[in-house]
Amino acid sequence: MSTGTAAAAAPREPVGLIGWLMTTDHKRIGILTLATGFVMFLFDGVLGLTMRAQLARPGQHILNTQQYNLFVTMHGTGMIAVSITPFALGLGVYLVPLQVGAPRIAAPRVTLLGYWLGVAGALLLVWGFLTPDGAAAGWWGYTPLSTTTYSPGAGMALWIAGVFLAASGMICQGATVLWTLLRMRAPGMTMLRMPVFSWTMVVTCLMTLASFPALLTAMGVLTASRLDPGLLTGNAWNLAYENLFWFYGHPVVYVMFFPFVGAVAEVIAVFSGRRFFNYTGTVFALLVFAALSMAVWGHHMFISGQESNDYFSLTSILLVIPAGMEYFGLAGTLFGGRLRYPVAMLFALAFIPQFLIGGLSGIMLGTPSVDYAVNNSYFVVAHFHYTLFAGSVFGFFAGVYFWWPKATGYLLDERAGRVHFVLMVIGANLTYLPMFFLGLKGMPRWMQTYPASSGFSTLSLVSSIGAGFIGLAVITFGYTVYVSSRARKPAGPDPWGGYSLEWLTSSPPPRFNYNGQYPIPVIRSFTPALDLRQRRRPDQPGRAEG
Amino acid sequence: MPFRQVFGQVFPLELAIALTVFALVLAVMAAAVLVSWRKRRRGEPAALREHWHVVEGAYAAALLGTAVFLIVTSFSANSRDFPRDPKPAVTVDVTGYEWCWKFHYAGSAVTVTGACLQGRPPVLVVPAGESVRVELTSADVLHAFWVPYLDFKMDAFPGHVNTFTVTFPHAGRWIGRCAQLCGLYHTSMDFWVQAVAPSAFRGWLAAGGSAAGLTAAGVHGR
Ligand SMILES: [Cu+2]
Ligand SMILES: [Cu+2]
Repeated sequence: MSTGTAAAAAPREPVGLIGWLMTTDHKRIGILTLATGFVMFLFDGVLGLTMRAQLARPGQHILNTQQYNLFVTMHGTGMIAVSITPFALGLGVYLVPLQVGAPRIAAPRVTLLGYWLGVAGALLLVWGFLTPDGAAAGWWGYTPLSTTTYSPGAGMALWIAGVFLAASGMICQGATVLWTLLRMRAPGMTMLRMPVFSWTMVVTCLMTLASFPALLTAMGVLTASRLDPGLLTGNAWNLAYENLFWFYGHPVVYVMFFPFVGAVAEVIAVFSGRRFFNYTGTVFALLVFAALSMAVWGHHMFISGQESNDYFSLTSILLVIPAGMEYFGLAGTLFGGRLRYPVAMLFALAFIPQFLIGGLSGIMLGTPSVDYAVNNSYFVVAHFHYTLFAGSVFGFFAGVYFWWPKATGYLLDERAGRVHFVLMVIGANLTYLPMFFLGLKGMPRWMQTYPASSGFSTLSLVSSIGAGFIGLAVITFGYTVYVSSRARKPAGPDPWGGYSLEWLTSSPPPRFNYNGQYPIPVIRSFTPALDLRQRRRPDQPGRAEG
Repeated sequence: MPFRQVFGQVFPLELAIALTVFALVLAVMAAAVLVSWRKRRRGEPAALREHWHVVEGAYAAALLGTAVFLIVTSFSANSRDFPRDPKPAVTVDVTGYEWCWKFHYAGSAVTVTGACLQGRPPVLVVPAGESVRVELTSADVLHAFWVPYLDFKMDAFPGHVNTFTVTFPHAGRWIGRCAQLCGLYHTSMDFWVQAVAPSAFRGWLAAGGSAAGLTAAGVHGR
């Protein structure tokens, strides 16, 4: 970094590409994490579209059975481990220091290490995917299928290493974001004055730290069994692996949910012109939600026949209480608001009913008698795509449209964004709604093709057409970014009438977030930017722009 | 066949609750849009209220009540799924393997298998209306025994036997599938369940369990 001649000068940050790749600025690390996650989102998305093409008509052979298993494995692992989880933590890395008024993130080099571990993990996963045998044991990597006996190739080993590294990276980022939240808040920013998004990151990071080590352990079990195939045979090991995997596998679903519901909460409050309704109740519900969801993993194992059905049914169904309280806050904020409808708000509004479909079907799966019928069928595929795609990815895009001007200094084109939104809504529902019915008709997951006599043809075709709309939607998003970056319509510090601290600094924010020109105001509530406007215009108490 | 009956009771009930909740949330959202529209027309500001503890409390109680109801429903359904059944009419050892199924009838020399990869799935012949005990295991990786008609599936583990009892109420033929990713030809692991009159079943079993025996008993497969 420093040269001999410049040793006496003040330390200077490297510029250009190196400046980005070696940055200790949380904003750059956040953007890198999100952008790399988006590249993987595109890659894994293309795999998904290819699978939908394969399933569009009965008896097709666009992908053979081996390729289909490879695609299914990479699509699932890639989306979860190196795309949506990085979206979740990357948003936190970017936004949390800004929202809590910290000049930087805690342990920025560890945060950067987390990013690079994630990149290494993604590269190993893709490398494994490209090897002749690849990794074809599904994103769960259940034993014994994933052991050397049944998956002898290097692809499986690369998959294990890739998942391990990506998870390690997310632990690093989760830890530094949590540390920032707990220990680096600005004066006056008490825990209960943090914005809802920051609170969702508290629970996200807690769950990351509590559950991802179980995944590392599971990968350790797989590694040990690869070193000595005779070591970990037998029913107990298979069950141990399932338990370890789902001890991570359920909480990760909430890691991939909380930050986006946080983004939706911010967007809905600002564009309803109201402070978030039932803030303290929502915070409390988030903590209960996170704690409870550490105790529900066995609902993924009802059909193992070796699980405590009643216990895990109890805990899983209890999730309706904190989840319902989250919705109470969202609905209460909307109701009585004066709504504005920029693209961010449209995505946030669509998130509410669409995620609800995923959530309600998830509660049904908490009943073993229902799970026996629909688990490992397309019903479950529909369920988790409603939560992850029609929910989380919609929440993610709400956040992207909302915070893009903050991160770049210019606005995203509203007209192109609306087209993106409409295509996404059509695509998501056309793709995933038919899958519920396919599952009830008896179509199993991981099916490479189906005969015309099976009765799956029409619904599968509808679903595949929907996937085409999703593809168009993502292309339209690319177009939106392109025209917006050409037009460069300046955003100013606060294009929306925002409530939280980040809207009081420049867009993009300065290196250490706040300075003499953009100071941190007195913080008296969880909406400091709104409070500041009201102090300047006391004639309009409690009113935001609208 | 408790699974199908239990599912037939629980699933519609839960679906009705879910659809009601979904409709309520949509109604609240639509009302919020209407209220907002009216406020804008009349130039009224957004509401200031940030808490409404009475409604919150009532709502939390409603959520708790719903949860308790669903939990009780789930527990009772689960207990009905596995009734004590001391004397099943027939016990079948079902083994999943890469990539087909083997059905061995306990207490007999009859083992049925098929050629799944050649498009000739095995047929699990059972007596209609009598309870059939399935002892399920795997010879290699995980598989899952799934008969969509039964609304039931269960994993087949190597080195472990999962046991459950099913009943097919009348003569008929139903598709069965593997519901656990098990490698290259997971998609091909279909089987058929064929329920025949108990007398025909016993005749078929005594005759050595051949497909010809089934035809001789007057039952025609597809
Ligand atoms: Cu789960
Ligand atoms: Cu199988």
